[in-house]
Amino acid sequence: MPLDIDRFAKRASALQRWDPRVKLFTLGIFVFSVALLKTLPIACVAFCLAVGILRLSNLPYDFVASSVKWVIFFLLPFFFIMPLSYPGEAAFYVIGLPFAWEGLQLATLIFIKAVAIILTTFSMFGTARFDVSMIALQHLKCPKILVQMLLFTYRYTFVFLEEMRRMQIAMRARGFVMKTDMKTMQTMGNFVGTLLVRSFERSERVYKAMLSKGYQGELHTMVKFSSERRDYIKSILILSTSVMILALDFSGLFLPAKQSWF
Amino acid sequence: MHISDGILSAPVLIAGFIGTAAVAAYTLRQLDLDDIPKVSVITSVFFVASLIHIPIGPSSVHLILGGLVGVVLGIRAFPAIMLGIILQTILFGHGGVTVIGVNTMMLGGGGLMAYAVWQLRHHFNINKKEMIFGGLAGAMGIFSAGIVLALSLVTTGEEFIATAWYTLIAHIPVMIIEALVVGSCAAFLARVKPDALAGQLPLVTPIPAPATTTTTEATKASNEDSPK
Repeated sequence: MPLDIDRFAKRASALQRWDPRVKLFTLGIFVFSVALLKTLPIACVAFCLAVGILRLSNLPYDFVASSVKWVIFFLLPFFFIMPLSYPGEAAFYVIGLPFAWEGLQLATLIFIKAVAIILTTFSMFGTARFDVSMIALQHLKCPKILVQMLLFTYRYTFVFLEEMRRMQIAMRARGFVMKTDMKTMQTMGNFVGTLLVRSFERSERVYKAMLSKGYQGELHTMVKFSSERRDYIKSILILSTSVMILALDFSGLFLPAKQSWF
Repeated sequence: MHISDGILSAPVLIAGFIGTAAVAAYTLRQLDLDDIPKVSVITSVFFVASLIHIPIGPSSVHLILGGLVGVVLGIRAFPAIMLGIILQTILFGHGGVTVIGVNTMMLGGGGLMAYAVWQLRHHFNINKKEMIFGGLAGAMGIFSAGIVLALSLVTTGEEFIATAWYTLIAHIPVMIIEALVVGSCAAFLARVKPDALAGQLPLVTPIPAPATTTTTEATKASNEDSPK
């Protein structure tokens, strides 16, 4: 799994040139409208749109696939659980369990929507440097303290990932093999504890270093945003499509895949 | 453990966001200036540690450590877990943008519950109480997260009741592993760096003038103090 999602932020494309503030806002609205869809044909349309936006972003295929494959893996159980547990009439029986087509339809809907949203997340955050995205979030009225903490956490994740790898190599060099037993649990507890103690000491040093550079709860940045007409045109195009798919979804032209309490 | 996009209904998603915003606003207000870098740095450790996979037979589970966040950060566990979930959404696409609220309520609430369990240790005077209550807190973190997950599924629609049961049952082994790891981690920290644990009583208590200060009052006082 790649941790540096902004690895390909420097590629030239319509999405990378888009003002991050407008981009995050627009695609955020798109994501929420996809999450509310309830009919299968419209979800397929939304999926195609998400793929289209991602194609525009010019991100390499295997970079996206390496994360998406895990999400697909987590969603697969739904294809077994939902059809076999759906309340209502059963089409036929599989080893004594009722199989309902509605359940399969619902599982497909969930799957398509989830993958569409994850692809859009890549278009949102993979096309600008991480810190630029975060500062754009701050411009969108995201709390300042939250943005700062996200930036710090992101930055130190790489430090501790490296530290953890080093400690794991040291453990393996001493002949430690993970098993399902009490000894492994205890060792892993101590392992996490050691990481924590080191992080406590490091966080003290980080704070002192920041104080000595004049930290007073504000982050100053040299990132400047500017939005032109074409930024807004892209935004209006996607926003109107989002409204359109939601309207089509609610219009009753298509049969919803589930009858929930919503 | 988190729920994916596209499953829950709009009211549940909105309830998740409102709940998270309320608790986060309260807990973020408790943070001092020096807490901002500290909580962030410690959050990144939890983020990294949750990538550790522990084998169970042929398969493996990854650590969640929601309980341990509560044990170490106390009430600040909630914003810490929220940060972890937002980062996970942005970096891996696990969970999703629309379920950040529900997922934070689930795991962050678990962290707060774990802290409540962890604080109970002051009422007992037994050997290895850090290990026992750390373990209970670790299990509590997963247990209450599982309950919230099941509730959010069930309130979305009755067709998810079976799914809710399966997820609850699937979390029993995770709960046991978390209890063991968090318990031994808490015991380790109590030995090595006791002030890293949340809600510790001060080692040298100032001599109380009248003998009215009971243990419970001292516990309450130390709850409000943030550890160094």
